[in-house]
Amino acid sequence: MPPEPALELTGIGRRFGALHAVRGVTLRVAPGERRAVLGPNGAGKTTLFNLVCGDFPPTEGRIAFFGRDITGLPAHRRTRLGIGRTYQTSLLFNGLGVLDNLYLAVRGGRPGRFSFRRPGRGDPHLARARGLAERMRLTHLEERPVSDLSHGQRRQLEVGMALACDPKVLMLDEPAAGLSPGDRPELLALLRGLPRSLTLVLVEHDMDVALPASDIVTVMKDGAVAVEATPDRIGSDPTVQAIYLGKGH
Amino acid sequence: MSARLSLLAFAVLLAAPFLLGLAMPQAQAQFWTVNILGRALVYGIVALSLTFLATYGGFVSLAQMTVAGIAGYGVAILVEGAVPGIVGGLPYALAVPAGILAATLAGLLIGAIAVRTRDIYLLMITLALAMAVSRFAESNIDWFNGYEGIRNVVGPTLFGVPFRQPHLFYYASLAAAAALYAGVLYLVRTPFGLVLQAIRDNPRRAAALGYDVALHRIAAFGVAGFIAGCGGVLTTIYNIGISPGSIGLGASVNILIISVIGGLGHPVGAFVGSLIFAVFDTFAASLYDRDRFNTLIGLVFLGIVLVSPDGIVGLARRIPSLLRLPRRAQAARAAETG
Ligand SMILES: Nc1ncnc2c1ncn2[C@@H]1O[C@H](COP(=O)(O)OP(=O)(O)OP(=O)(O)O)[C@@H](O)[C@H]1O
Ligand SMILES: [Mg+2]
Repeated sequence: MPPEPALELTGIGRRFGALHAVRGVTLRVAPGERRAVLGPNGAGKTTLFNLVCGDFPPTEGRIAFFGRDITGLPAHRRTRLGIGRTYQTSLLFNGLGVLDNLYLAVRGGRPGRFSFRRPGRGDPHLARARGLAERMRLTHLEERPVSDLSHGQRRQLEVGMALACDPKVLMLDEPAAGLSPGDRPELLALLRGLPRSLTLVLVEHDMDVALPASDIVTVMKDGAVAVEATPDRIGSDPTVQAIYLGKGH
Repeated sequence: MSARLSLLAFAVLLAAPFLLGLAMPQAQAQFWTVNILGRALVYGIVALSLTFLATYGGFVSLAQMTVAGIAGYGVAILVEGAVPGIVGGLPYALAVPAGILAATLAGLLIGAIAVRTRDIYLLMITLALAMAVSRFAESNIDWFNGYEGIRNVVGPTLFGVPFRQPHLFYYASLAAAAALYAGVLYLVRTPFGLVLQAIRDNPRRAAALGYDVALHRIAAFGVAGFIAGCGGVLTTIYNIGISPGSIGLGASVNILIISVIGGLGHPVGAFVGSLIFAVFDTFAASLYDRDRFNTLIGLVFLGIVLVSPDGIVGLARRIPSLLRLPRRAQAARAAETG
């Protein structure tokens, strides 16, 4: 018997009024797999992400996480189950420091979230936040306000916050978008260094980034899955060529 | 503001009555101690509750003077010696905590409203609330003694000294202000305070992380209610009583003006703004005729908001970097040529 898929979407769809942003998406992502989701602007990639993460419920279909039906669970319950994510447009707490952001992400997934007691030196959540800062190579910036960070550093912090809940599945929405060529290798090395116990789902616009980082590529168009193939076959797929070359890529 | 600067300011305030005594005749020194510095402290506490909400929660409420007034009226209604005696008979040791408790509960109630309302709508709702409470106090004789209000709330006797003795009043107000100020600075570094700021920056993300946004918002207003309540007790003793005018439109707007002049961005702004306000309010009337005070304070308000949106404190913060910039440029030039 094959292992239970980390994520299994069955006939997932979402309408926004008349717009059918995602339709009939069926996907199985195995544990430890690196999956890239490609597609032109407006293909529904982010909407699909939001459905998996629970920002809003699907209008049709079913989502299972390691065999457990999570279709109706709110976002923070999914975070606690082990779905971590980053956002396409960075959603950090800009008025707070780097370490504060990580600390809040660590603490959010755990009991005793409402507290008037200041964390002491040995506080385990704080220690874990420091560990994440180190893993994301942000230790030297711990006390700086997030508003001081460069674009690439913000992305690193996003990934650190997504890892704070000990996710089994990590969802990254265009992590390399808008990064300067100098920032890109740092982030990609960081992603490649993530352990195989983690399942990775990655939205990317740029094939050059997505292909080396993934085991299987899903190409979406107009809300539906157009092609699913391994990275070495995707470039020669006629449908993909039509979608991408048609756009002038 | 750095801890060292805070301690310095505190030391100056501790020494102020004596320094004033050296600098001017006794009656004048007493006037400055109570009616300028003391007054700045007690209204500063009320403004601190608003600065706390605005800086860390992103809420602007016009009902903080009302919440303070609930504590003030609570004490006036319950305490022995107030005129007229409404309930009376209670010592200050019981009436004051009861008043502050009432203000805290009122704060929580406003918080429950703020869960669903923000920005300009919250401003309007809290304004309406403030007007409703002051109108109610004005028209209700049985509990609030109507338009006249309740007089002779003179405060307890501590160590055999009446509370209104200038030095006792000043130091008690300073102790309360310092404790609440330090309390706010502590609170904003606790998980509660950090989550409050996270919700201010990005409520959706905070909720996605598993934090209860509504609970934190309500608690923030409860904390602000407690602070305003402490201020309300002290302003009532300062004024030797309370009347609907002390919680009316003018008084509510004055708290907003104090907070904005001082600067929403750091809790110290509440006290800086309150001091500036007290000085203007006292001396503008003698320079100018009384009616023009509002024009003057309005112009000061406008000037500060235009020049420095984060108030006097924000302006003071920017000065070092303004001075340093040319110096750094000079240093760079020196390094190039050298
Ligand atoms: N909350 C929403 N309400 C209404 N329409 C929405 C909403 N979110 C997305 N859409 C629409 O759904 C469609 C798919 O958007 P989505 O953001 O998922 O695309 P995407 O593939 O992530 O695109 P991009 O590559 O630009 O990020 C778009 O037409 C978008 O306008
Ligand atoms: Mg997108």
